Amino acid sequence: MTDAPATIADASASRSKGSLLEKDARTKKRNAAETRFKAYGIIAIGIGLAFLAALVFSIVRNGVPAFTQTYVTVPITLEAETLDPEGNRDPADISGVMTFAYSPLIQQGLQSALEEADVETDMSASDLTKMLSSSAENTVRQRVVSNPDLIGETEEFRLLASSRVDGYLKGRVERADLERDRNLDAAHLDIVDQLQEAGVVSRTFNMDFILGTDASDNRPEQAGIGASMLGSFFMMLVVLALALPIGVAASIYLEEFAPKNKFTDLIEVNISNLAAVPSIVFGILGLAAFIQFAGLPQSAPLVGGLVLTLMTLPTIIISTRASLKSVPPSIRDAALGVGASPMQAVFHHVLPLAAPGILTGTIIGLAQALGETAPLLLIGMVGFIASNYPEGVASGFLDPNSAMPAQIYEWAKRADPAFYERAWGGIIILLVFLLSMNLLAIILRRRFERRW
Amino acid sequence: MPFYWILPVLLVIAAVGYVLGRGRAMRSADGDARNLHSLPNYYGVHAVIAGLVPAALLLAAWAVVQPIVVDTWVSQSISESRMQEAGSRGLAMSEVRRLAAGLETAVERGAITAERARSASQSMDIDDLREAVSGAGIALTGNIAPETLENAQRYNRISAVGSAIKTVLVLLLSLAGTAYAVSQTTKEFRARKSVEHGVMALLIGAACLAIFTTIGIVLSLIFNTIEFLRLYPAMDFFFGTTWSPSFTGRGGASQLGILPLLWGTFYISLVALLVAVPIGLFAAIYLSEYASKPVRGIAKPLLEILAGIPTIVYGLFALLTVGPLLVSTFGDDGWLGVDWMDGGTAVMTAGLVMGIMLIPFVSSLSDDIINSVPQAMRDGSLGLGATHSETVRQVVMPAALPGIVGAVLLAASRAIGETMIVVLGAGAAAQISGNPFESMTTVTAKIVSQLTGDADFNSPEALVAFALGMTLFVFTLGLNVVALYIVRKYREELE
Amino acid sequence: MNQETAVRNDRDTTSHLPNNQIKVSARKVQVYYGDTHAIKDVDVDIEDRNVTAFIGPSGCGKSTFLRCINRMNDTIPIARVEGQILIDDEDIYDKRIDPVQLRAKVGMVFQKPNPFPKSIYDNVAYGPKIHGLAKNKSELNDIVEKSLRRAALWNEVKDRLQLPGTGLSGGQQQRLCIARAIATEPEILLMDEPCSALDPIATDQVEELIRELKGNYSVVIVTHSMQQAHRVSQKTAFFHLGNLVEYDDTETIFKNPKDERTESYITGRIG
Repeated sequence: MTDAPATIADASASRSKGSLLEKDARTKKRNAAETRFKAYGIIAIGIGLAFLAALVFSIVRNGVPAFTQTYVTVPITLEAETLDPEGNRDPADISGVMTFAYSPLIQQGLQSALEEADVETDMSASDLTKMLSSSAENTVRQRVVSNPDLIGETEEFRLLASSRVDGYLKGRVERADLERDRNLDAAHLDIVDQLQEAGVVSRTFNMDFILGTDASDNRPEQAGIGASMLGSFFMMLVVLALALPIGVAASIYLEEFAPKNKFTDLIEVNISNLAAVPSIVFGILGLAAFIQFAGLPQSAPLVGGLVLTLMTLPTIIISTRASLKSVPPSIRDAALGVGASPMQAVFHHVLPLAAPGILTGTIIGLAQALGETAPLLLIGMVGFIASNYPEGVASGFLDPNSAMPAQIYEWAKRADPAFYERAWGGIIILLVFLLSMNLLAIILRRRFERRW
Repeated sequence: MPFYWILPVLLVIAAVGYVLGRGRAMRSADGDARNLHSLPNYYGVHAVIAGLVPAALLLAAWAVVQPIVVDTWVSQSISESRMQEAGSRGLAMSEVRRLAAGLETAVERGAITAERARSASQSMDIDDLREAVSGAGIALTGNIAPETLENAQRYNRISAVGSAIKTVLVLLLSLAGTAYAVSQTTKEFRARKSVEHGVMALLIGAACLAIFTTIGIVLSLIFNTIEFLRLYPAMDFFFGTTWSPSFTGRGGASQLGILPLLWGTFYISLVALLVAVPIGLFAAIYLSEYASKPVRGIAKPLLEILAGIPTIVYGLFALLTVGPLLVSTFGDDGWLGVDWMDGGTAVMTAGLVMGIMLIPFVSSLSDDIINSVPQAMRDGSLGLGATHSETVRQVVMPAALPGIVGAVLLAASRAIGETMIVVLGAGAAAQISGNPFESMTTVTAKIVSQLTGDADFNSPEALVAFALGMTLFVFTLGLNVVALYIVRKYREELE
Repeated sequence: MNQETAVRNDRDTTSHLPNNQIKVSARKVQVYYGDTHAIKDVDVDIEDRNVTAFIGPSGCGKSTFLRCINRMNDTIPIARVEGQILIDDEDIYDKRIDPVQLRAKVGMVFQKPNPFPKSIYDNVAYGPKIHGLAKNKSELNDIVEKSLRRAALWNEVKDRLQLPGTGLSGGQQQRLCIARAIATEPEILLMDEPCSALDPIATDQVEELIRELKGNYSVVIVTHSMQQAHRVSQKTAFFHLGNLVEYDDTETIFKNPKDERTESYITGRIG
């Protein structure tokens, strides 16, 4: 059979199609399938966005309360015979008085505050102070030590309420929850209600959460993220100081000078693999190489910064190479044409033109490093360690400290649910930092974006 | 202390070298820069490089070598009996090192005098010394044997001598380098070439850091893994079905089988992929094939926010939001009325949240891949009267399949290596079970739990973390290599 | 003057194939790409069982107009079509028309051969499968064989139907694409510069094929090559800057063009 003869008969047979204006059943079915398929896509995006919304909602709902804190305003008579037995107002003697000496004063103060607010109770004075944070004595003592002239006066103190009272005002703790609680009874809450009406108990903005240090397990109301924020800051300094120059140098070599050979390939393969190595493995590297082998101090932001540098380098190298690549060859040719050496061409012309892109990539790399947690756990930047501010720059790099995400993890692990609120609040702060860094990157990109 | 002094001194030498080098060049050119081969600054920089680089290299090498040398030296004088008491030479040596460091710090903080730290001997009250050291904030555990004290002092002595030699050598080298560079400087000298060689070496060095990092990872994993396998039988590790480390640290009762951890890792990753792949893939298809420009412009960055959120946030989300939500659905008093779930931390919790985290990862990779399918193929199919979805399913998807498989493998590697979500969301029970509502644990979660806390680094319970890390590294590396190969191959085929 | 020449239609062509019906009839067609007015006031009548060639310099709109005939321009979001195109007296831009059904009736072959990354067999069977033209496997086999025969490719590929279509040579790929297009039994076949990516020998084969296809289909071919238009077509339309300048019998266009722009193009002065 040849190819031709079959044609004519078939073609005329196929001429009996119906009008295009009427959809046949099959087309209807196919269009329904089309609509379904499209719907799957919309549903998938909808689910993704719903997850995002759920995440944001749960962060905001659980985290915002951490930014307010409940205080009790108590008038305390600072009796001279208790606080300054020698009567000479000598700071050394006053600081010799331990915190427990302040307890009775606070008890008296609290009772007088109750009387003023016309609250009647048959609860004992020491039972009443359970409404206050156990940091109350220390707060009063510190103020007295720093200002001995107050002794003998009656002063108003704003003391932290205990985390249960704070939780009650925020709706986290309810009367039913307190049935088996050793610290607080429902009766306390009745008093709190009355005191709140009288203005003795109030919720205000909680600067101490943003600037403060971590607190021990039984004082969640006192815990703040400030010290670990400094830890993160010192780590980011290390990352910036190392990752940017090393990343740029490596990118310049690979993009501008490297010959195409096995060795360059090896470097390239290494970089793309390092970009995909799990972050926890970098933690193991940090532990083994920097702490075990090189003997650097454990839990130090310096070590954290080194580990994060190694982790961030691939990101920075990849984005730096992209911005170097986007500088057109004509610029290099022009520089070489007037007699610049290849290196001068790169450093004088290509690098400045690529700088905005490099900067953007670096900021995004830093943001990534700022949110990283897992490697920090292995080099010991977790636990109850962000309890003091660093004393100076050297101490900031070398003394044990936590970092924001590690601090959040630490709070999430603790037994008292009051810490969860702190963890969510910490996430809000962390995300504010990340968001500003990404915004900055976007603005830089918009501002300096160059189309060749 | 001397270390902090070396650097400023080196910088001063470099600065002097710069001035001398530049000055000498200018003089040899009779003050006219046009007579020079290179710009005057290059002569100065040349002297700086010659003064700094060799000295800095020596400094770095010394910092690595000295502790090893001192260690070997001192550890030879540890007696048999001491070794038996401590358990091994390594453990005895680490006691020595800790005490040596304690003494140093105590002296630095003024808790004891340098003289006392040097001369304290067994005749003196060792407890007294320990108290002074602890008073300075350095905790020393156990009793200090007189021999340990002696060795610690010896350790410090040798280290001090070493540091002194180092300081002298480094400074001499720096001076010599500067002097040589300055003496080389004449107006014909090609300073720019020489400087550029130096800069190029720095650039190459920076690029090689990637290799060093990989080597560092491999070495730190291998050595500790070998150490672990010496203490714990390999067969029991690789094929053991029970994971129950003893908490005492040195008890022989630990069972460290990796299988339950691998199973947990696999199961959680599977759940995560079951969530992420369909959602991510359909989202990518919709965004690249159907969505109008404004919709794409809004939905795509919004989805990608999910990728920029730190994993600790997902971990907390799993622990405090998703876990309780799942329990209130599938738990005892849940509204489904089934009693499947006891606690909030479970395979389902961690898997679901990890899936959410991976959605943008799958969708943006797939988006790229779908977009790289040539328009001509879509036109060909549409031109035949295929509907858009038929075109996507029967022409675009088969063409993009290898790339999408690569993307899924990359997502799987990410899921296997994810730490924070499983540490917080999956629970701690190492078990092999098919029930996704039960708590299970993963390789990464156990690396964290074995290496945080005060475990002794030389015990099998801590060392096992390195063996786990090795396993993790090999798995993810394998997945990444295969995935990158597939994706690259696919790109080449389309082009 | 544009109008005048454009309105001239096949009533003039008494000499050639008098019994041919009008298959496609376009009136006052405008195409906009965003703000660009790409096609202006095109009126044309295309005959059944005949080859019509669209010629003109690059960017003159001939491909754009071709893509209007099976509504492929729908896939470009910024493209907008006005005016009327009737196929068998039905307006294909009517709201009730489903472009999917339309494209089954109006097949298309593209500039670059674009076989799917599937086997030769699956490439040809794709259209019949999605349109449900075969009741069973053996019918499908028949359609595939028939289409490949009509595309003059059967003898070359009958032993390797399961090998990927991308493995064929350029000319074979293009004939495979033609086979793929005719497998859905279209009535009109649009060809957008089908030979521009082919070498002379492959071009020859495809042109031969086009001449054969004319017996059954209304073939519209866009071409850059005037020789090709001359060789394969009976009618020729000359486009310039979005206007249909002249439409007539191919012989007339090439021997005796009425518009000076056509003449300039034919003689190689513009283009």
